Amino acid sequence: MPELDVLPEPATVASGQCTGKAVSVVSLRKAYGDIVAVEDASMEIAAGEFVTFLGASGSGKTTTLMMIAGFVEPDSGTITVGGRDITRLAPQKRDLGFVFQQYLLFPHMTVGENIAFPLQLRGVPKDEIRRRVGETLEMVGLAGYARRKPRELSGGQQQRVALCRALVYRPPVILMDEPLGALDKKLRDQLQTEIKNIQVELGLTVIYVTHDQEEALVLSDRIAVMRDGRIDQFDTPRELFERPRTPFVADFLGAANFLPGRIEGHTGEQTLVRLNSGSLLPARPHPHTPGTAATAAVQPGRLDLCPPGDGFCAGTVRSVTYVGTLVRMQVETGGQVVRAELPANRAPATGDQVGLTADPADVTVFASDEDG
Amino acid sequence: MIGLRSTWTGRITLTIASALILVFLALPIVLIVVTSFGSDALGAFPPQSWTLGWYRAIFADGSKWPAALSLSALVATITTVFSVGLGITAATALTRSELPLRSAVYGLVLAPLLIPQVVIALGLFLIFEPASMLGSPLAIALGHTVLAAPIAVMILVATLRGIDERLEDAAASMGAGRATIARRITFPLAAPGIVAAAIFSFITSFDEFFIAQFLSTTNTTTLPVQVFNVLEFDADPTVTAVSALLIAVAVLALVLIGLARWLGAGKQSGLLPVEPAAGIAVSGGETV
Amino acid sequence: MAIASASIAPGGLRALLRSRRTRAGLLNAAPIVLYLLILFVYPIFGTLLLSLKGENGGLTLHWYADALSGSNFEVLLTTLRISGETAVLSLLIGFVLAYAVSRLRPVWAGLVMVIVVVPHFISALVRTYGWIILLGEHGLVNNLLVKLHLPGTPFSLLYNELGVIIGTTSVMLPYTVLVLYGVMRSVDRRLLAAAASMGAGRLVTFRRVYLPLVAPGMATAGLLSFILCLGYYLTPALMGGPKQTVVASLIDQQVMKQNQWNGAAALGVILLLLTFAGLLLLRLASRIGASARTRRAA
Repeated sequence: MPELDVLPEPATVASGQCTGKAVSVVSLRKAYGDIVAVEDASMEIAAGEFVTFLGASGSGKTTTLMMIAGFVEPDSGTITVGGRDITRLAPQKRDLGFVFQQYLLFPHMTVGENIAFPLQLRGVPKDEIRRRVGETLEMVGLAGYARRKPRELSGGQQQRVALCRALVYRPPVILMDEPLGALDKKLRDQLQTEIKNIQVELGLTVIYVTHDQEEALVLSDRIAVMRDGRIDQFDTPRELFERPRTPFVADFLGAANFLPGRIEGHTGEQTLVRLNSGSLLPARPHPHTPGTAATAAVQPGRLDLCPPGDGFCAGTVRSVTYVGTLVRMQVETGGQVVRAELPANRAPATGDQVGLTADPADVTVFASDEDG
Repeated sequence: MIGLRSTWTGRITLTIASALILVFLALPIVLIVVTSFGSDALGAFPPQSWTLGWYRAIFADGSKWPAALSLSALVATITTVFSVGLGITAATALTRSELPLRSAVYGLVLAPLLIPQVVIALGLFLIFEPASMLGSPLAIALGHTVLAAPIAVMILVATLRGIDERLEDAAASMGAGRATIARRITFPLAAPGIVAAAIFSFITSFDEFFIAQFLSTTNTTTLPVQVFNVLEFDADPTVTAVSALLIAVAVLALVLIGLARWLGAGKQSGLLPVEPAAGIAVSGGETV
Repeated sequence: MAIASASIAPGGLRALLRSRRTRAGLLNAAPIVLYLLILFVYPIFGTLLLSLKGENGGLTLHWYADALSGSNFEVLLTTLRISGETAVLSLLIGFVLAYAVSRLRPVWAGLVMVIVVVPHFISALVRTYGWIILLGEHGLVNNLLVKLHLPGTPFSLLYNELGVIIGTTSVMLPYTVLVLYGVMRSVDRRLLAAAASMGAGRLVTFRRVYLPLVAPGMATAGLLSFILCLGYYLTPALMGGPKQTVVASLIDQQVMKQNQWNGAAALGVILLLLTFAGLLLLRLASRIGASARTRRAA
């Protein structure tokens, strides 16, 4: 799990050096026959912000992106870029950049011709085209590849060229549809860093689609978690982790433990949950009235060990798995398995009796009638 | 390959049978080419002595072949222009836009390949005769286009389908307009297919007999009609050399198509629909 | 169309945009549709009308009665017979060749298919002429047979039904080979191995597993060559005798020599109806094949 603190907040991008523009999406909707692909999607994206649409396939993330790009016509809603309404414009008139999962380099053109293409469309003088193509290729570490044909390059190289082609004419917003989906893990990590660096350096507005949570966390200033055509939550990675608004978000991003129970009462800054096991768990405030059936969600990494009997539950350690400096363990308590992560030097042994405790600020309560 | 091992006798029988069948297919063609260089062009095989005389005779003074040859070439050229033009627009409609009644349109386009050509020829005769257009190269070309355009459409539909439509989307996302996309992306990628469509249209017209026969007059005959008349009525030995020329043209056309595909290799996959009618039959009236 | 009309209320603009793509489609499809309506459909309707027109202008079935009686009826039967014989023969020969090719390695299969496809692009007229040279009384074939001292040589191989069938079969063979090869290549040979593993003998495996799998393709190939043969008259005219006159030749004669357009039109319509019947069967065969495929997939 990446350290959340190092992820840049949107405010860290100084608006002065942005080449990007703000994007605003209001109440976008798209249905195919009876199937609603996207419903009521709204968001304000700041200039220079890196936003990811995160969701499983069929969640509507790609459809939303395609509507912004102009390849899919929305049923209703508006899209503006830098204050200009582009909802009904043809794709070629939107002045956006698009990076496709399948690269889609023009096979009959060389790498250089591919990158020069959007500049030629804009009537850029030949000398400048040559200069900018060279510069852009250098930026992604492909200097000297201009004369190759796309099919002579590896997948990672092709995607770098595709990235160049979208960057070279400096569109104010770049859309990326799972651009790293076809690459292997190592290459993906490397390109993620490159994309992020370029985005920050140039102050680009990027809207990125992926189904990979880790990728979303590494890249994004803010993430829109999508499910069934709706945006569940649009927030910074930290907020999504610490204050998930739905059980789905809690589960999708952090693989949270869900502990069933009932709201016992409220004490000032805390809501108390009576778990089904009988013990009492203090959590972040939640408005529901006492007696409501509820679930407490807590990330494995936010649990700590304590002597049995001290914490909100006690149980037996069933398994301990080392993952580098961390251990993942499963603790069986009252018929439920709770997952926890600890620094490796504090790992218990399998079979130990342990208690579990959590900071109330890390425990989120969902009433059971909330969907998820 | 996983499968049944066949017995040696079975294999040998099958090999011999296949070889005989291939001979059956190729022999008439080989024979004509060889005989056309023999001194006795209508008879004995293998020839006793060799000559190029029959080829010279084709172009000799008073020969009726040059006129037929130039008429055929003219008609085939016009047909090619019509067919490729119709083919490009039709294939664009069938693969790149929303077309109401798409399968009906495709069905109409393919129908001329399955309807007996003699019926098409008769129908055309019935309109061109009253218009006194019999023997007009234009009339014959218009008729040939009915047969050649469907083939061009099939080839171009396959070509356009082989070009990833999202390449056009990618170009659009960079700001390329419709005309620019067509000129810079689609056309260069489709070029081998367009060449193939043109060559198939040309050869279809150049070899066509039925329509040309119905629309010809005694003074204006295309090459195939002339060949037919010679075979049916008088034994002109130059016909062998003319037939060999027709073979050469067809082989040359196939080589050119192969060349175009080879030059454009890597852009398209799959066979060209070399056999239009068989293609329809295999797809079983499948819609686009 | 339905979508466009259903969405008028919230997105009149959307309907417009949607129809822009439709309009482009209609605009691009228009040339060929118009062309074929004028030069293909209309002439055929003209033929139909002419075949029903009496000598004094009224409607009549007289021409059909003519076409279906006496020597004309004989010609129709001859056409069906020659087409049938050709279809069966090219199906059988095509089956053997396609089967052999489907067992070859791709490189060899490609080469053999070139030998099959190239002749197909060479004028049938020229190929027919090749056969005339080959099958003549002093042609290569008879010379060979005479040298072998076969009794009864030289055979008369030309200007009779045998000659016609040899010629038409060689013209139709590429079609059947292409269709059958396509079907046979798609047969999963592991099924045959599976049958063998259950103890099925070679013959049983062939009859119970392989044949049912390729049967729809065989129906297609046979029907296709039958249909294409119906209107084909080059080879019968050049390689047959008077007894091998086919409907298409008759049409040609009636138009060119006797100026008998109405009768020719009636014959044309009969040919057309026979073709439609064949196409209907073809459709049926491919539908059965398709449903068999889905059953297999399921």
